[in-house]
Amino acid sequence: MTDRTGTDNSKVKLGIWNGQAIVQSLEIRMLGLVLLLAVILSFSSEHFLTERNIFNILDQSVVIGIVAVGMTFVILTGGIDLSVGAVFGLTGIFLALFLQNMPIPVAIGLAVLAGAGIGLFSGVLVAVFGLAPFVVTLGVMAIGRSLSFIFSGQRSISGLPPNLDSIVYSTFLGIPANVLFLIGVYLIAWGYLTYTKGGRTIYAIGSNFEAARAAGLPTLFYSILPYMVSGALAAVAVTFSLAQVMSADPLAGNGLELDAIAAVVIGGASLYGGRGSIIGTLLGVLIMVMIRNGLNLMGVSPFWQGTAIGSIIIVALLAERVINWRSRQN
Amino acid sequence: MPAMQPYTLEHVRSAPLLTAQNVTKRFGSTRALTDTSLEMRSGEVLGLLGANGAGKSTLSRIVSGHIRPTSGILTFDGDPLELGSTRDALRVGIALVAQETSLAPDMSVLENIFLPGLATPGRLSYRDMRRNATEILAALGHDHVLPLDAEVRTLSAAQRQLVEIAKALALDARLVIFDEPTASLSAAEVDRLFDIIARLRDDDRALGFVSHRLEEIFAITDRVTILREGRVVLEDAETGSLSQNDIIRHMVGRDIGTIYSKRKMKSEGTGETVFEVRGLRSMPWVRDIGFSVRRGEILGLGGLVGAGRSEAVEAVWGLRPRQAGEILVNGKPIKIKKPVDAVRAGLGFVAEDRRAQNIVPDFNVRENLMIAQMGKNRGFGRGYGQKEARVRELLMELELPLDRMDQSLLNFSGGMQQKVIIARWLLIEPDILILDEPTKGVDIGTRSSVYRLLQAAAEDGLGVIVISSDFEELLGLAERIVVVSDGLSIADLPADGLSEDKLALIAAPRTSTARNQALLSSLVNAYGGEAFWCLLDEEQTICLARAGAELTGMRPGQALKTEETSIPRAIRCCGDDFIGEGSLQTLLTQMTDTRGHDLGWIGLTLPEGGDPPGTALIRSQIMDLNRGNEEERS
Repeated sequence: MTDRTGTDNSKVKLGIWNGQAIVQSLEIRMLGLVLLLAVILSFSSEHFLTERNIFNILDQSVVIGIVAVGMTFVILTGGIDLSVGAVFGLTGIFLALFLQNMPIPVAIGLAVLAGAGIGLFSGVLVAVFGLAPFVVTLGVMAIGRSLSFIFSGQRSISGLPPNLDSIVYSTFLGIPANVLFLIGVYLIAWGYLTYTKGGRTIYAIGSNFEAARAAGLPTLFYSILPYMVSGALAAVAVTFSLAQVMSADPLAGNGLELDAIAAVVIGGASLYGGRGSIIGTLLGVLIMVMIRNGLNLMGVSPFWQGTAIGSIIIVALLAERVINWRSRQN
Repeated sequence: MPAMQPYTLEHVRSAPLLTAQNVTKRFGSTRALTDTSLEMRSGEVLGLLGANGAGKSTLSRIVSGHIRPTSGILTFDGDPLELGSTRDALRVGIALVAQETSLAPDMSVLENIFLPGLATPGRLSYRDMRRNATEILAALGHDHVLPLDAEVRTLSAAQRQLVEIAKALALDARLVIFDEPTASLSAAEVDRLFDIIARLRDDDRALGFVSHRLEEIFAITDRVTILREGRVVLEDAETGSLSQNDIIRHMVGRDIGTIYSKRKMKSEGTGETVFEVRGLRSMPWVRDIGFSVRRGEILGLGGLVGAGRSEAVEAVWGLRPRQAGEILVNGKPIKIKKPVDAVRAGLGFVAEDRRAQNIVPDFNVRENLMIAQMGKNRGFGRGYGQKEARVRELLMELELPLDRMDQSLLNFSGGMQQKVIIARWLLIEPDILILDEPTKGVDIGTRSSVYRLLQAAAEDGLGVIVISSDFEELLGLAERIVVVSDGLSIADLPADGLSEDKLALIAAPRTSTARNQALLSSLVNAYGGEAFWCLLDEEQTICLARAGAELTGMRPGQALKTEETSIPRAIRCCGDDFIGEGSLQTLLTQMTDTRGHDLGWIGLTLPEGGDPPGTALIRSQIMDLNRGNEEERS
């Protein structure tokens, strides 16, 4: 065979098993940003780089981190899930009610099923009926928040079984259970999105739905699944939250969807779908939490924190875009 | 004393109306044009040729002020020309009729024709505009086909183009460049466009014609300039002095020989029918389409754009709802509800629009290659590992660099992309491969390797189905051609002995076929017996339609060897009369259109005995009916 490309094909490693390059340049830059932030914050506050504060940061990452995984799935398909905050609140109320007269594992299982069921509802409306994800999940958000008030009787539900807190406060090798769980969720999600047919189909749907469909991928199922994952993980997240505060508030999770979306987008995902990664999302979550934590340590007024976080998000995205332009020109 | 030069045509050519000298254009770090020059003269059509990416569109956009050159000099009518915008170009009288039109879809035809003038201060007189528009359209010979008050969005592609041309003439453009104007036109519309271009040339305007379709270049241009990789490789050569091979050689820079090297078919009929579609219906585009392909065979699905070919295969693929139809693989009916059913039944499908239907842009080359394999795979994993050896083999065959597997597929040329998409399906080792316009946007050099790929696939025993609007390609590639027209499969013919003209005639829209059918019926009503419409040459007789009693045994879409019929005898001996054949007698009459093109023959077959009616009377009736058709057609 003549070789026009100037390379000796027989010696090149084909690397079907190499899979996706695990670390892409974007994620390296993100990691750099996380470290840079850590350095700046540790100079700004002596309390930042302490073991206690690091666990504090990880602990604060659990809820938003778990929700952001589901949000990544949805955004990768080119959708959006505005209902996660409301689903978080509603399934929290469900869980608190279930816990009144059921064993803990059964109650948690049912709450997670409820979250997945709400996701199924949104997913079917989006994938089968072709409604816009933004509008569908906006509607579900309003319904969910309203139902949390109805089911809770407009008040917080307390009196949860005291041993519920073991899912947060037990440790393994000195690491709290909720942080281990977070790491586990990210590992599974990363493996799933990178190495399985379902995961690659989710990417393909967001990148080019028509091509994915014509190639015989099960596009309908995997257009619905991300919304179910998102709903279910919102319920998982509220379980950890309940175990810490030991009460369910109908207003819980207000604005959580925006934090999750911000983390995913900071992590490099495209809102048009097809592009993004679970590692990026994890780094995005860490950036968000670290900034908030650092501002608290520095004693910045909570009213200014929104301005600070918003500005940092915009600057980070702008820097990313500029770097992208530069590299494309070279 | 200088030697006398022979007096040639050169000497009577006018001075160039427009010249471009040493024009260079850079986009970022890439050079789209390097030191190109161009001359255009009044009363001439200059063809601007080149493969994809050769720079022909860039050059015409520079000349018409759409983009500024990085360096270089333009002159117009002897004076230096500085173009800051299209408005500058229009002011001196240079217009570009672009591929994607620059019309305002919500405004009327009239407003669009005078769109550049609408931006100037002063009162608009719709009455003057209307009068001018009517004059312009009359000059183009089309005053009756363009309703001035219709919104442009309701027009066909050909009509929009006509509005663009009228717009250029409203500004009294002295130089008009047509950038790939025929891409979305039917054969009849192309003919009409060429009439217009010829009129404009006779009106002493300078015309540019950008294209890569060779037949059109020979049909309409006086001279050609050929570009390759941003440089002029042949400047201002007389079209008549060039052969197709000369042009191709200049365009691709090497002799590619015949791009269609017809492969030797294995002995006729060895392959069994591997795939069959019967009575397919998917409204509104597909009314009744059927075709079948054998192992080792390349079947062409021909027809005009919009005939329903793409829609038919998309319906087969489960991308469109079907109202009726049977699909058989290896003789067994299969149910296809969604694409994966087709994939698992052993089919592969390269859809028409590469960017919209085939490429997953965020996937690298490897994943784009593997995606059909993943679709076929039933497991939880991606199933990439199963085919490693086959991938390596395929990439070698395709001359694809293995070390670029991790790059984005979008970094590759159109031809490379297409090869990867075809390889995607070869990888799952299908029994049947369907390709919709496989060489669309693929330059002529890569095209031949796509053809080789398809021929090799057929050699390996696949049934290959190719859809193409390019009749030359279809005839060169396919062994058999099923012609689709207006949602119906109307003919199933061996490619040998078919020509582009014949294909074009068979593929002509159903309206004319319906009228010819009416003609046949009225003949049968008047005289009884059987009437048929066929195309015939020395080798083949192709029946297009029939009516009445079944006397001759001809069926629509059927091809007979001419020598085996009594037709040659009929034409030779009894030009003006019925010819007897066994117990039958047949009268043949040739139909032609106003330009003298053969439209086929009308035959009337009656049982022998009884008094045959006066042949002159029948003939004149056929002619009258045919003339009626002609007028309605044009």
